[in-house]
Amino acid sequence: MIEEQKELEAELVDAVAEEEEGAFENIFWRILTELGWALGSIIIAFLVSALIMIAIGRDPIVAYSALLEGALQSPDLIFAWATPLILTGLSVALAFKAGLFNIGAEGQLYIGSMVATLIGIYIFLPIIIHPFVCLAIGTICGALWGLVPGLLKAYRGTHEVVSTMMLSFVAILLTEFLVSGPLREPGTPFPQTMVLLPTSWLPNVFFSPILHAGIFISIIAAIFVYFFLSRTVSGYEIRAVGQNPFAAEAAGINSKKQIVLALLMSGGLAGLAGAGEILGQYRRFIIGWSGGIGFDGITVAVLGLNNPFGVILAAVFFGFLRAGAVAMQTQAGVPVEMILIIQGLVVLFVAAPKLIKWLAKQNFAYAKWIVKKPTNALPLFLTAILSLTGAFIGFGVGFANLRSDLVFTAQLVGIGALALGSFAAILMKRREGFITALLTSIAWIILAVLTVIYHKGTLAIPLSILGVIGVLLSLISSFLVYRKGILIGGVL
Amino acid sequence: MQSSFLNPLVITWFINSTLHFSTPLVLAALGGMFSERSGVVNIGLEGMMLMGAFMAVVGTFFSGNPWIGLLAASISGGILGLIHGLISVQMKGNQIVSGAGIILFATGFTSFMVFGIWGIRGITPSVRQLPTVTFPWLGAISPLMVLMFLMLPISWYTLYRTPFGMRLRAAGEDPSTLDTAGVNVQTTRLIGVILSGIFAALGGAHLSIGFGSRFVELMTGGRGFIALAALIFGNWNPLGVVLSGLFFGFLSTLQGSIDVLPEFSFLAPYVQFIAMIPYVSVIIALGIIRRSIPPKAIGVPYIKEREG
Repeated sequence: MIEEQKELEAELVDAVAEEEEGAFENIFWRILTELGWALGSIIIAFLVSALIMIAIGRDPIVAYSALLEGALQSPDLIFAWATPLILTGLSVALAFKAGLFNIGAEGQLYIGSMVATLIGIYIFLPIIIHPFVCLAIGTICGALWGLVPGLLKAYRGTHEVVSTMMLSFVAILLTEFLVSGPLREPGTPFPQTMVLLPTSWLPNVFFSPILHAGIFISIIAAIFVYFFLSRTVSGYEIRAVGQNPFAAEAAGINSKKQIVLALLMSGGLAGLAGAGEILGQYRRFIIGWSGGIGFDGITVAVLGLNNPFGVILAAVFFGFLRAGAVAMQTQAGVPVEMILIIQGLVVLFVAAPKLIKWLAKQNFAYAKWIVKKPTNALPLFLTAILSLTGAFIGFGVGFANLRSDLVFTAQLVGIGALALGSFAAILMKRREGFITALLTSIAWIILAVLTVIYHKGTLAIPLSILGVIGVLLSLISSFLVYRKGILIGGVL
Repeated sequence: MQSSFLNPLVITWFINSTLHFSTPLVLAALGGMFSERSGVVNIGLEGMMLMGAFMAVVGTFFSGNPWIGLLAASISGGILGLIHGLISVQMKGNQIVSGAGIILFATGFTSFMVFGIWGIRGITPSVRQLPTVTFPWLGAISPLMVLMFLMLPISWYTLYRTPFGMRLRAAGEDPSTLDTAGVNVQTTRLIGVILSGIFAALGGAHLSIGFGSRFVELMTGGRGFIALAALIFGNWNPLGVVLSGLFFGFLSTLQGSIDVLPEFSFLAPYVQFIAMIPYVSVIIALGIIRRSIPPKAIGVPYIKEREG
């Protein structure tokens, strides 16, 4: 146990030093590799999504050119989408830095926007001062909404996921009450407040009808968060607590104070996002206006690798997808939901290395093994993942054809069951799992050939790709396991 | 017809509706109790309910028999529980991450599958409901509502009067002592989590084939989180959980009554406050008055000393 403690402390020093080092010496190299990784992930995600489009019978080239064209025709729409996403992404990223998971950004955003609305409607202030007062008080109220979970976490040990989630529901219901009751504009069919006083509006910029000055606020906030985290004592302490609360406490950092501070600032950023959108975009509070901007902050933060500038790039990328989604639907017949799949895949690929590191820190045995012995673990792990994917495809597509083609369903579900079996065997640390995975992959290829013969062609490409990759991976894994005698799960 | 408070029809409607709204909450919360008393946080209840609601309709649709649907629901819930257990107990992963993953998976899977099987977005065709028996004053009672009431003594007896219950509670309070006594902590926790999946799925099944007769996309609508709230507010013991589940169910009825009974229409402006009560009560119970005390070892994977 003592050894473990020492190891943890060394880990903390390493981790913080690594970040410090990055700030001075090889920052350009690091940015370049991370950008390269992100770009690669985006390309892979688009390729995989193209396969899905082929599988549902759409033309990916038409879809992507429509997406690009749609987005480039209205670049201001990209940044208008990105404006609040940058702030909610920063909010979640800042909490992540302290090792906290703020899933209540949506609620904090609603509180901030409602308060800004109240001040924008009922308080008379001169131009220029008015929007700043609205933004400031919106931020403060969002911060207060984040303070409660912070205090509960620090002094009562309540898990921040439970408390931010519950408070988020409370916030949404509270604003719903206000907008459908006392603040509702009379005579409207839809619950919304009156329009804000024009003195409180954030002006549009760059002669655009949708892009407003909030974009500058978002960028300034990102710079502020960057400086706070990397150049101040509090920022350093927050990162230390996030790396390892015990080691931080041992080093004399008051971890309770930092937890409260992190959630306070996280709530403030989400509140600012809501206030900015109301003042610049909607100019009144409309029920349910956000539609999940707070939750999207989580994916933005993950894609931005919790780095303030990464968050900006990630938000712009999300804005790009949204700006082009409608064109993609109307011109190529690809449903708007497709961008959620692209988004999810990009995040998955970008985050994979970080995710595994993080999971290793969260005590996932497999993740630890991958971090320590990647050459042994990765082929075995990827085979397991591929088996699981195969099981999903088998059961999913199988059930989807349940009413139209029973034989095809039986084939798919059969192979799916085989794939699930090999996944379970690998999970149970049985070597036989890899032979089963090999058999499953061969079965996929046979099924792909059969679909071509029986003219159910659309599935042939994904199935054969699944099969070929599966054969390669399971051969490598079988070689490692049977010839080199590597134990699944590794010896830690 | 002019309704009044003392009208038997109104009272029957009130009781029946409360029972209907409480059943999913109580079943899911009691299931969650088995998981959390064994030391595994289960915020995936929402996902397990959703999966149960969906699989109940799938089972009923293809067999024509709602009891088969109930079976399919409980099996699917058990599998989700098993997955959560494998990740968070066997692989010692983060229980919150795993639970959130369960919710995401169930949401995506059910929404996609509705389209996949029936080719319609968001809603399935109507299927046969579970049979009901009508009682005076209580209205139509479905088997799952009976199960809810049977579950109170059963879960109390299991938890406090059987060796299994003792082990379950020990796994959540002091796993190393349980291990010293020669009981496998991980198996005990795994059973707890699987039980929670089964009951949450049955709660979901009540929504789809007990209360209604079809599955609608995202039909649980946050009831899993309210069940979690009932579990915390009920202080992790069977009586408390059932009472808070009934109370939260009553609140839902009160919200429903605003549209149905003119006497309650004065509540209409405050409907959001009624909906808010469960969440606020959890924050108060956990933080301010500290009435709820979770099991000691909750959320901590058990690692044997020689392993660590």
